[in-house]
Amino acid sequence: MAAVKDTVEQVAGLEKYEHGFVTEIEQEFAPKGLDRDTVAFISRKKEEPDWMLAWRLEAFERWSAMESPDWARVSFPPIDYQDATYYAAPKAKDGPASLDEVDPELLKTYEKLGIPLREQEVLAGVTGAPRYAVDAVFDSVSVVTTFKKELAEAGVIFCSMSEAVREHPELVRKYLGSVVPVTDNFFACLNSAVFSDGSFVYVPPGVRCPMELSTYFRINAAGSGQFERTLIIADKGAYVSYLEGCTAPMRDENQLHAAVVELVALEDAEIKYSTVQNWYPGDPETGKGGIYNFVTKRADCRGDRSRVSWTQVETGSAITWKYPSCVLRGRESVGEFYSIAITNGRQQADTGTKMIHLGAGSRSTIISKGISAGKSQNSYRGLVQIMPNADHARNFTQCDSLLIGKACAAHTVPYIEARNGACTFEHEATTTRLSEDQLFYARQRGLSEEEAVQLLVNGFVRDVLQELPMEFAVEAQKLVAISLEGSVG
Amino acid sequence: MNLGQAIRLRDATLLPSRRDEDWRWTDLRGLLRTIPEPSLALDPESIGPGPFDGVAGEVLVVANGAGPEAVEVEAGGDRTLVLRQVSRGDGAHACRLRIRVGAGARLTLLESHEGGGSGLSLLGVELDLGEGAACERLAVCDLDPDAVAVAELDVRLSPGARFAQTLLTTGSRRQRLETRVSHPGQGAEARLDGAYLLSGRRHADLTSSVRHEGPDGRTDQLARGIVDDQARAVFQGRIVVQEGADGTDARMAHNALILSDRAEVDARPELEIYADDVACAHGATVGALDDEVLFYMRQRGLPEREARILLAASFLGEVLDRVESPAASGRLRDWLAARLGAA
Repeated sequence: MAAVKDTVEQVAGLEKYEHGFVTEIEQEFAPKGLDRDTVAFISRKKEEPDWMLAWRLEAFERWSAMESPDWARVSFPPIDYQDATYYAAPKAKDGPASLDEVDPELLKTYEKLGIPLREQEVLAGVTGAPRYAVDAVFDSVSVVTTFKKELAEAGVIFCSMSEAVREHPELVRKYLGSVVPVTDNFFACLNSAVFSDGSFVYVPPGVRCPMELSTYFRINAAGSGQFERTLIIADKGAYVSYLEGCTAPMRDENQLHAAVVELVALEDAEIKYSTVQNWYPGDPETGKGGIYNFVTKRADCRGDRSRVSWTQVETGSAITWKYPSCVLRGRESVGEFYSIAITNGRQQADTGTKMIHLGAGSRSTIISKGISAGKSQNSYRGLVQIMPNADHARNFTQCDSLLIGKACAAHTVPYIEARNGACTFEHEATTTRLSEDQLFYARQRGLSEEEAVQLLVNGFVRDVLQELPMEFAVEAQKLVAISLEGSVG
Repeated sequence: MNLGQAIRLRDATLLPSRRDEDWRWTDLRGLLRTIPEPSLALDPESIGPGPFDGVAGEVLVVANGAGPEAVEVEAGGDRTLVLRQVSRGDGAHACRLRIRVGAGARLTLLESHEGGGSGLSLLGVELDLGEGAACERLAVCDLDPDAVAVAELDVRLSPGARFAQTLLTTGSRRQRLETRVSHPGQGAEARLDGAYLLSGRRHADLTSSVRHEGPDGRTDQLARGIVDDQARAVFQGRIVVQEGADGTDARMAHNALILSDRAEVDARPELEIYADDVACAHGATVGALDDEVLFYMRQRGLPEREARILLAASFLGEVLDRVESPAASGRLRDWLAARLGAA
């Protein structure tokens, strides 16, 4: 109950979207529009080697011949890709050597967002409190990565993608695009051409990453998009837990966020990837503005007994188009997907997962909880494919949808393809509204309607919240409440 | 994409293909390069006995696409119709039939799809149920292994009407049974069951969509099937609950047994909900026969073959348990038992 009380207080004290502010900072932009020169400009800004530029240009050529997909249950006017800026970065003063040299405006921004960038601040808690290393990405560049030294001592590489291209080209060349090929889909291809920053993680064999890694994405500039690229490799027997958070200012225009995340898990490795997505959802009344979150996330469980778990809490974005997937190639590899997707106002979400079972004895679990309120559209779309060699593969899927209000919609579109005589596949889905009986019971016990709804919603999403790292779980619980604010009555 | 038009105009480019989302697992364009010549006329007298012979009722025959165009069951009436769709040869044909069931009337529709040769056939039926009317459709499909056959049924329910169907099929080279129900709610009910038993290289596709347009409607669906060898089963079920269709209660279940590594089961149970006061659920499972159960049965002295048949019979039997017409129920059981024994 304490959590609920806390949540209610939080809600009372907050604006509708608390991260909607803009940071006034001197920024540098690429010229508007998208052509080969833009791609070359970005590559030059990042001081990339020739092979990287060639890779980008090839992607650009391929993308130019592709068409925007239209199969998802979302609607938006055609995007003018020439009417946006593909690179925006805070003006660097010869690159900050330490945190003290980072623009104070930037530091203030992250302070306001509650992201610890100073290592001592992180440490200043109770002894034994969990620590997080943070890679902070501001528009198109990574502004700072903390705890790099301590991580390096354990052999872990944690840096921005741009830095990895320069410092660890052998790893980047080996793995970049090996999970999500350049031409995988329209948005992934666009990303391959113009990607700016993101995180790069390499955990060497047998190493358990000594702390949680996290990236915080912030879109600030107007008229720009964010195209981050993240690549995480867990070598044999390694373990890493990675958290991702994101916010953007409130603007009347729609901004495109087309990211690609690639995870590679080798033998016996484990990657846990958690996302709390809180991009600006647009105006709840008019539907104006908000982020288009068109993201490709995929994990390749390449090694035997490897394990990848995706956990996502999706509360923001005007439109979400996102299917974190696992290719279960290794024998007895395990893929997990835990998702809470909340839509309110005029948000549209088409999200789910793909589990491709190739290895014998591979297992996957999908737990998806969708909540629709206001005038929003919320779809779960998933694919589970069990291929002929995946003997004794197992899948369990559960998708539940909750509707709050008369004008919202919830859809469930699972695709199941079983091609093996020894597989087990179970899928169940339900769609309901909040139970009148339960609401009545809670209200009779003295809770207000809003509190009662929050209590029931928290119960509905509990299976997923439990999968989040603890600090994130508390954060996510608050976010769930805030996202549903104003949806009752 | 329109099959009827493709056959009429003999234009294979109009055939549905895997690019059409609703046909992605039942690709006709990739299968047929050209539309076959129109089928030759078939003498209804020459077609031999059908699976519902001896059940009291009026017999209608659609022979190579030629048959009656409309049937009417007057208000308050109670009729049993045996509808035999028989195809022979390697030609293409399409046919449409309209059935109207007046207010408060009852119709038992016993349907058989027979033969098919190596041709292409389309049967489109429109079924209108008046207020408080009831129709139970029981269909068995015994098609030739090379036949390509599509049967579509469009059901329009009125308030208080009830439609129930049970489809049994052993598939063909490519077969699709599609049912679309426009459901006004207001006490109307739909039951859409089906069972498939596929072996060899056969294919069967059970597709349905139910659109709840008004409040307080019920839909209940149970589809089960067994695939062996290199056969492929497709199940697509869509339930749409439109805005204002509150109080809808819709349930769907699809369970498949897959007995071979080269067999395939593809399923897409879909919910599309625009109203909040609803209870909708679907469940789907795909798996192998339970080894432990088999072991138990063999340990009790049953030969493996018999044990397998018993398990399959009980698995599919649950679909038949829901058949209402007593006269036809026995026929369907015999039909299934004969095919299980042969499998």
